[in-house]
Amino acid sequence: MGSCPPSSPCSQAPSHGTFPGFHCSPSKSRLEALGGGWRAGQGSGTRSVPLAQSIPVLVSLTGLPAALATLPLELTVLYNSLVFAMGASDCAINGEAEEIRQGLLRVLEACGAAGQDLSTEKLWQKVLQEVTVEELQAPLHRLAALQAAWWLATNRLGSVTGLFRLLSSAEHPGRAPCSEGKTQLLSLLRAWKVPAEEASLSLVQSAQDLKEVLCTAAAFLQGLQELEAGNLPAALSLLQEAAGGFCSKRLLAQIYTCLSCCTQRMGKPQTALQHLKRALQVDFQCLPALSRAAALYRELGEVDAELQALALLCEALERNPPAAASPPPCCLIQTEQLVHTPALSALLRHRHLSEVKYLLAQRCLEDGRMADAVEHYLDFLSLLQDGLQQQVPLDAGSALPRLPEVLLEAASALQQAGRPQDAITVCEEVVGRTASLIPQTLRVEERLEQPECPSPEPQLAAGPLSQKRESLRCLVWRTAAYLHQGWAWAQLDETKEAVTQFSRCLSDLLRVQLYQPGVETAGSLLPEVKLLQKIRLLSLIGRGAQFLELGKLKEALLDFQYGLQISPGDPAAASYLVQALWKLDRKQEAAARWQKLSESPAEEAGQQEGLGRPCPLYLVSCLKQATFPQNESLARDLQDYLQSTNS
Amino acid sequence: MAHAGHRLDYLAGFCCPLGGLAAGKPRVLCHDSEVYLSNGSEFLYVYDQEGKELKAVYKCPEQVWHVELLPDPKQLFILCAHSGIYCVSLEEPGRLMEQTDSDGQEGDRPSGVFPVASEACVFPDPALCTFTLLNSFVVTLSQAQGQWWLKLHELPRAEQQGAGYRQLSELALGAEAGADAAARSLPVLCCASAPGAAGSGERLWCSGGFVLEEPLFSLLFGVDAAVLESPMILCGFPDGQLCSVPLKALSSPPGQEPPVKLLHHLEEPIVFIGALRTERRAAEEEEEEQPAGGCDCVVAVGHSGKMVAVKADERAAAAVPELREYGLRGPVLCAACGSGSRMYYSTPSDIAAVDLECAGEASDGEDAEGAAGVLPPVLSPASLSICSVVALSLSSRASEGESELLALSAKGRLVSCDLCSAEEAPATSLTPAEAGRRIKELLSGIGNTSERVSFLKKAVDQKNRALASLNQVMNVSAALLSSQDGHKPIACTVTANWSCLLLQDTVTISCVLENCSEYSLEQGWTLCVQLLASPCALEEDSVDSGTTFTFPIDQLLPGNKRELTLPLGSAADTKLDLPLTISCALYYSLRDILGSGCDSPEALDDFFPDDSPILSPDREGICLPLSECTIDMLQCLRLESGPRGPEAPALAPAPPAAPEPVETFLQVAREQTEPSTGKDGEPGDGDLPPSAASIRVSSELLKNALKNSGSGVPLSCATLRWLLADNAAAEALRGAEVAAVRGAAPRGGEVQLRVREVSMNDLSPAGPIQAVEILMESPSLADMCRVHHAVIRRIQALVLEQAAQGSGPPDLRMQYLRQIQANHEMLLKEAQALRERPPRGEDGAAAEKLLHVYRQLRNPSLVVL
Repeated sequence: MGSCPPSSPCSQAPSHGTFPGFHCSPSKSRLEALGGGWRAGQGSGTRSVPLAQSIPVLVSLTGLPAALATLPLELTVLYNSLVFAMGASDCAINGEAEEIRQGLLRVLEACGAAGQDLSTEKLWQKVLQEVTVEELQAPLHRLAALQAAWWLATNRLGSVTGLFRLLSSAEHPGRAPCSEGKTQLLSLLRAWKVPAEEASLSLVQSAQDLKEVLCTAAAFLQGLQELEAGNLPAALSLLQEAAGGFCSKRLLAQIYTCLSCCTQRMGKPQTALQHLKRALQVDFQCLPALSRAAALYRELGEVDAELQALALLCEALERNPPAAASPPPCCLIQTEQLVHTPALSALLRHRHLSEVKYLLAQRCLEDGRMADAVEHYLDFLSLLQDGLQQQVPLDAGSALPRLPEVLLEAASALQQAGRPQDAITVCEEVVGRTASLIPQTLRVEERLEQPECPSPEPQLAAGPLSQKRESLRCLVWRTAAYLHQGWAWAQLDETKEAVTQFSRCLSDLLRVQLYQPGVETAGSLLPEVKLLQKIRLLSLIGRGAQFLELGKLKEALLDFQYGLQISPGDPAAASYLVQALWKLDRKQEAAARWQKLSESPAEEAGQQEGLGRPCPLYLVSCLKQATFPQNESLARDLQDYLQSTNS
Repeated sequence: MAHAGHRLDYLAGFCCPLGGLAAGKPRVLCHDSEVYLSNGSEFLYVYDQEGKELKAVYKCPEQVWHVELLPDPKQLFILCAHSGIYCVSLEEPGRLMEQTDSDGQEGDRPSGVFPVASEACVFPDPALCTFTLLNSFVVTLSQAQGQWWLKLHELPRAEQQGAGYRQLSELALGAEAGADAAARSLPVLCCASAPGAAGSGERLWCSGGFVLEEPLFSLLFGVDAAVLESPMILCGFPDGQLCSVPLKALSSPPGQEPPVKLLHHLEEPIVFIGALRTERRAAEEEEEEQPAGGCDCVVAVGHSGKMVAVKADERAAAAVPELREYGLRGPVLCAACGSGSRMYYSTPSDIAAVDLECAGEASDGEDAEGAAGVLPPVLSPASLSICSVVALSLSSRASEGESELLALSAKGRLVSCDLCSAEEAPATSLTPAEAGRRIKELLSGIGNTSERVSFLKKAVDQKNRALASLNQVMNVSAALLSSQDGHKPIACTVTANWSCLLLQDTVTISCVLENCSEYSLEQGWTLCVQLLASPCALEEDSVDSGTTFTFPIDQLLPGNKRELTLPLGSAADTKLDLPLTISCALYYSLRDILGSGCDSPEALDDFFPDDSPILSPDREGICLPLSECTIDMLQCLRLESGPRGPEAPALAPAPPAAPEPVETFLQVAREQTEPSTGKDGEPGDGDLPPSAASIRVSSELLKNALKNSGSGVPLSCATLRWLLADNAAAEALRGAEVAAVRGAAPRGGEVQLRVREVSMNDLSPAGPIQAVEILMESPSLADMCRVHHAVIRRIQALVLEQAAQGSGPPDLRMQYLRQIQANHEMLLKEAQALRERPPRGEDGAAAEKLLHVYRQLRNPSLVVL
């Protein structure tokens, strides 16, 4: 079947135009008014007008007992009103399925059957298998397409497959389902024979259009599913199929972006770039493509290209707020409306301007472009002070780290760009913000009792444990800020002030009391605890170095010794220790230490690596500053001394 | 502390929508001298406090749920139920009139009703529940897809007219939104700003919002929010969750957890969120001219009176906020906070103020430094003596520098209460103007007091009435329960009568409720008569069929009787077949005592322990059983007037009560079509003899039992009298010596009862035993069975009674007895086999066989000795 029944309820089919004039006997004038309303509605841009008008028609029809003669008309009106409703809303709403259900129930009622307690899937099965009235087949098939659209929008691909299997088996009784597996839905959709449009019952969106939309959406959704499941080749072919389908430019760009993601995961970054390029060619406003491109360049190590992409993204975001109106739709139900999955929104995560600015700054800092980094960091910080228009995402998926860390990174950039005074000001902010959040004493278990819980957002869980960790983090930031300030004062040659800051850092570090749980567990050290040790070492070295400057050799010696206790074999501390000893005229010790140090540089470097590997970006500059300056004269003196003692 | 000197001003009265103000979502807002007031209806009133007049009334398309005011440009944002937010510009009412295409003549009067047209709807969203304003931003909270959605929109700036409301971001809150959450109570939104943000630049406008001071802000919302200086939205949900969301980080892509922090869970609907300044000293010492500093304590109040206060705890080195829960007397209708340390909350009976000022000086004896900066351990609410206020607003008119409380009472009266007047120095001499004002104040005070008095009086009256009712209920219950064994002081006797109803003779049951106690049954008692078909009735599934009739008793004074009749045997409920068990009980609903004010079953639990025997099964009333009796066929027989002698002829085929030709024809026709299988209730036809059953009872037994009643008459007559003793029509038998009666069953069938004396020769070796044979005959098998059942029941009771007296049976010939018993057992077995066999095609034959067996079982049958 599937061919249009030739005997429509009334056949005076006039040439009223292509748009929905319903030319059917029962309530002709009202239905025409509905068609006219649609036209008026289209003109003024609001699509709720015809919807509002079609509802009374529907109500007046459904108020009567269901009759086979009027059912084709009723189902068509239902189809049209649902298309309007779906087109008017951003996404499919819950109520529509209920309306389709009611329509099906009325069909059953007309045929003398009941199915109130069946699920919608079962209801369709019953209707398609039991209702064999020729006139009803075409409206039912159209309604089925609408149901499929609704199910796609709610990501129920299985139900859609079942429905289309029913439809095709109704068309070709006896024919077995054509193919198996993933492509089944697509081939079923393709094989579905669209009921021919009757001249007397106009449709606001033809079933052929709807079929195209369904095909594209199904391919896209399945491709996304495969991508998520890791079946990359299958995902690739499905997405390519979707890209060839019927959809708007905006969606096409999104599909290309997903394709690029897929090829990137397959290890083909250049192809991925090609896809992104195509996405941007199709829709230059497809900003996720741009941010993915930046990420790809970063993977490829092309810093210039990455920064360029980020800068472009920044510019685009600044010019055009992302919530801009979408282009006018080409038809009522669009593919976009049917593709709503968390996977897609994760892939196409929208970057806020603040995030992009930060990424720019961070990449510049990492790459050593200090002047640019400073500029971007300051841009970012001023963005924070802007009003609510500039959203600063703080959730786990955001590109932003915790804000104090951003401040510390900015301070680090400022310091390296030769603006220590500004760095001190920024650090003062961190010190002030964290002041009330660190308790006087903080008893922390040294090791994690349980494996690290995947909760990077400490604000969420309010348990005592996470509260402690948050306090610990605040302590890390505060001491790091003091450390930066110390080095910044040192840079300004304010040695005493620098010593004060390093001392503050060290005394704050005493607030934390580490204890080991009774049983020696295999758990790793808390990352914050490791960081605190690192900061302690760095500030000891820093203060020692300043003491050396001041000529307080004994204090300097003590600091270096403490530093070596924390991290035995740290080359910087060891070298400083040698220098201090030498200056204190404890030449023998100095020489012995120096000899030991120069004998095992490789091993120590490895150790150093092991201790300081997960060093946050904001500490990198401090690490650099703490390294022992190449001191030729000292080396020469030591060499001479060793030779003289040996001889 | 008593707030005796509060000056109350009655400002205006507003009409009260159906269901009272408390049913809606009333709201009072004040700005400068203007009061914006919604009383839960679709009207919004603008009242001028200076001119004491109503300036404008706006009519919204739907019930108003929430109102906020944007001062510059002066715009009102009105949330209407299930439609969205409407924006009304207050500066150009004329423009409004242009927009609304309503009739123009109304617009000329300034006090006219301005309709708010649908074009004014700026956020059409039926799922919107509440919103708040923050400078030029609108934060809305709506409910969709089982979740709460917090959305941030930017208002178009003044210069860019016509621009839309841009949605900046949205966030789904994890809090479960019940399906009808909005219907029960609305969530509460409130904005807390960081201290830095308020000081810089333009003055932050946020109605109901506040600035939180530093240690608390960071402690509550985290370091990131503090660095961002982001305004925080506090949401109080109907389920009791108190959450905070940073407005600058209002985004959460799906799959990621939103940056929402659950501050507390009150476990009851939150009605108010506010903030207080609890440490006054520091602020006052620093600078006097800036009283509106930041707040250092956040409070949230739940509907049932739970309140939580959060404050930065500076004394401990814990770096966590101190959080303390208090219990206020609920239900809290609304609350308000001013700039000080006091919070005002309103319950149906009073407005009370609680002061959260840290009680440093109060307890300086012990550990003053320990108590400093801490929340008070207990709160002492101070009454303001204003009852049933449904909306509160605290206004401080800058010109006078005094704060006043604006309150909207449940009856729609707007009242202002001056909070500072207690500290004013009393005026020594009054000018006429002052005196006039004073008199006015006194008058409005009197008005308020009278409203309060009437409220309290009503409550007291209701309680008194409830107590009186409870007292009499207890008296009656005690009287009935204490006399459980003997005669009950309140009795209900049940008899069956024939009466003529609607030209048709039917059996009615009459219950006579007699009050012999010394207490009267007052209004509220109900007599419940439950008709229950006995489990041993003919139909097997009739066990559960019961009908209860209830008769409210208006008043039954001691010594009075009340008779109630209920028809029986009407064709309407054929289920009620004889014999019927009728139980009568008195019921008193406690719900009525408690009145409408209490609708929770828990309140009743306070009255009675769980296992209280008199509490009815639904635990909502007191149920006192009175009597239980059984009505059987013998009581319902309608005896024919002419008594017959023992020689009465055998029962003729029963003619229909009214031999109508048509009926006769129908009957004959029916008989011809179906083979006569002796169906229940069907009058037997000519071929079939009437069904009969007989019982023999030894004369000795009967004589013993009836010796006091049956003197002077033959035993058979006495037996018949005894059997029909409960029959109301049996009086006729008294006069003559009758040994046989004929009567009509309730449904028209005829029944004959004959009693004769026989002697049984072969039963006892000692000679013939004298016995009385009771013979029952009826053309209808069902009627015969009913009579048989009734007779057996009586004899059973008699035998039991006699057995208790210990009279031994006469010497019997066991062989014969065994024979009878064996016969009966065989018959029983046969009957059982027949019944168990599933009825197949030949069920007619089987049924007939079964019937035959039953007949054999009954006649000639039992001998009772």
